[in-house]
Amino acid sequence: MVTDKGVWSRLRLRLLFTGPTLFAFVAVMIVPFLYGIYLTFTNWDGISTTQSLVGFQNYGSVFKDAEFWKSFGLTLKYVLFTVVFINVLAFLLAYLLTKGLKGQSFFRAGFFLPNLLGGIVLGFIWQFIFNNVLVFLGQKMGIGLFSTSWLSDPNRAFWTLVIVAVWQYAGYMMVIYVAGLTGVPGDILEAASIDGANGWLKMTRMTIPLMVPSFIVCIFLSLQRGFMVYDVNLALTKGGPFKSTELVSMHVYQKAFLSRDYGVGQAEALVLFLIVAVITLLQVYFSKKMEVEA
Amino acid sequence: MKHVKKMKWFILSLTLILILSACSSSGGDTESANGGQNGSSDGGIKITLLNSKSEIQPQLEEAAKAFHEANPTISLEIQPVPNGGSPFERASTLYASGNPPTMIMLDTGDVAKFKDRILDLSGEKWNADTVDHALDLTTIDGKNYAFPLAVEGYGFIYNKAVVDKAVGGSFDPSTINTTASLENLFKQIEASGKKALVVSPMDWSLGAHYFSLAYAGQDKDMTKVNAFIDDLRASKVDLASNKVFNGLMDTFDVMTKYNIDQASPLAGTYERGPELLGKGEVGIWFMGNWAWPQISSFDTANKEYGFLPVPISNTAGDYGNQEISSAVSKRIVIDKEKSTSEQQDAAKKFLNWIVYEQQGQDFLVNKANIIPAFKNITLPAADPLGKSIQDYIARGKSEQSMSDLPADHWANVGASMQKYLAKQSDRAALAKEVEQYWTNVKE
Repeated sequence: MVTDKGVWSRLRLRLLFTGPTLFAFVAVMIVPFLYGIYLTFTNWDGISTTQSLVGFQNYGSVFKDAEFWKSFGLTLKYVLFTVVFINVLAFLLAYLLTKGLKGQSFFRAGFFLPNLLGGIVLGFIWQFIFNNVLVFLGQKMGIGLFSTSWLSDPNRAFWTLVIVAVWQYAGYMMVIYVAGLTGVPGDILEAASIDGANGWLKMTRMTIPLMVPSFIVCIFLSLQRGFMVYDVNLALTKGGPFKSTELVSMHVYQKAFLSRDYGVGQAEALVLFLIVAVITLLQVYFSKKMEVEA
Repeated sequence: MKHVKKMKWFILSLTLILILSACSSSGGDTESANGGQNGSSDGGIKITLLNSKSEIQPQLEEAAKAFHEANPTISLEIQPVPNGGSPFERASTLYASGNPPTMIMLDTGDVAKFKDRILDLSGEKWNADTVDHALDLTTIDGKNYAFPLAVEGYGFIYNKAVVDKAVGGSFDPSTINTTASLENLFKQIEASGKKALVVSPMDWSLGAHYFSLAYAGQDKDMTKVNAFIDDLRASKVDLASNKVFNGLMDTFDVMTKYNIDQASPLAGTYERGPELLGKGEVGIWFMGNWAWPQISSFDTANKEYGFLPVPISNTAGDYGNQEISSAVSKRIVIDKEKSTSEQQDAAKKFLNWIVYEQQGQDFLVNKANIIPAFKNITLPAADPLGKSIQDYIARGKSEQSMSDLPADHWANVGASMQKYLAKQSDRAALAKEVEQYWTNVKE
């Protein structure tokens, strides 16, 4: 139908359908991105009307900025723990909630709920819990672990971030795993049972390999969100105590807007973008190879 | 085929409608924004003020109403800086979006950054009526760019009821002029059954207020203080052997020793300070006069509070031991990029209204509890903390606060101070971190 027309009319038809989206994409993604790259070569401070090109100097500063790499290291640690815990917990929840438990839809909704809260609100709620509720309980009941605020100790403050992230995202990933689990064909599992496979074998040999697409999506999402987290970090710890929980997004923001070093901040953002893009693409590429057909 | 054609027309017209409606709605926006700029339909002039002193938002709105009644052709809208946001950040965002407010309330150190976009206010009458040094930091190449809104000061706030009881009689603040006498007072308070003080661990308080006393205390002469800062930038200062720094940290060690939150020094919040002080559970809190509204809501001392200086040595006569740190802290600037000349005139009128009209002065001093930076305003401060600071200034016992430190100073040095407070570093490490900060700082 389309092939018998000329190239021009085909292009016109394509533009008709993709044009508006393409326009929006270019306007709000590509142009700002390119402008952002341009800004990394200037010494702009965020407000002045003049700016001069400084070449690659800002990228040099990125590599010399020890704080940036420190917060990047901390972010890696954060990503590692959140990705593992979120996915393990989400998969367990999904497994339990596809067993035909009484009221399982209610539980699914309940576990999904935290994801509907905005990060800032969520951060403030947990800040109150860690600063007041737990400390109150800890002191009343003499539990040493909770008798001082977790947010005033660098190490524990880090774990509060992990706990909150797991709490927030496990339910979300659970929904994806539930879809994956229900998509595993029942006849295969039934055939396996007849052949004498036990639950563990069925899980490791059939269910999990067939669910690789769900794992790819969930790990991708939790990786990306872990690297880019800002709102909870801001509302829960503000990077404190003494900057010990400043994750990399927050550092970039502070560099650009607090230190008024827009060029370096933008360069750090770009470096971060590249690193995260490489990591997530590698993850998707390699896990795609593990996909199997039922 | 025909079906597809119909579909095409449908989609096309739908897109068109979407685009048109998007345009018209943004057109509406620009119109209302322009209404602000070019005068709205009723012939009035609409101006806006970005307020970065969130504690006086309701008072400012009231003032805007009063100003509108006095000048019916001008309507003034107060926009708050969102909680936790910095005025610089908000203002630069608004400039980036092409819709800056007519007036912006900035911190002193920010003004210079905006100088290409704001109006030269040197010609205004109020320039001649400001208190000494009020315009030094906003005058660039001989032109003053900002209106000084408020004088703020900080030091140890004491609750008179608690300290009276501790010293057994009427407490005389001038007796506290050395680290030793301060420690003695702490001991007396503890002996009377109360806790001596609370140290609020916010980085801005420790970094921008407490630690900057180490710079300001170097010399009475500001040019020498500035030279000291230049030396820090050039890493020519050995902080660890600096007398003022060590004296100040000696006092800090004493504070740490008597801190009510000693067990978990970083867990405290700002809100905890005024409550403990107001209820008389502690005698002393390191903070500034802006905290009055919060203290007064817990007040048990019949509104009797005052300031003590932060001593930096054991020699009573040393500079800094009897002085309270104060400076003009908030400035209003007027946009020249997008505002029309009518709006600029209206904004200037508003600033003059604050300084010279009885209603404006009443707003400034009595409603907003601000210590004015103008000599012609003779109204006494409305609250005890403001009064105390005015008294120190009147007696010549004021030390210039460091209000043009680099923008990230409070966060970085504040973090180092928190580390010190939590005993995760020592004085040598603190000195080193601060030196490090200054060698790396931009600007």
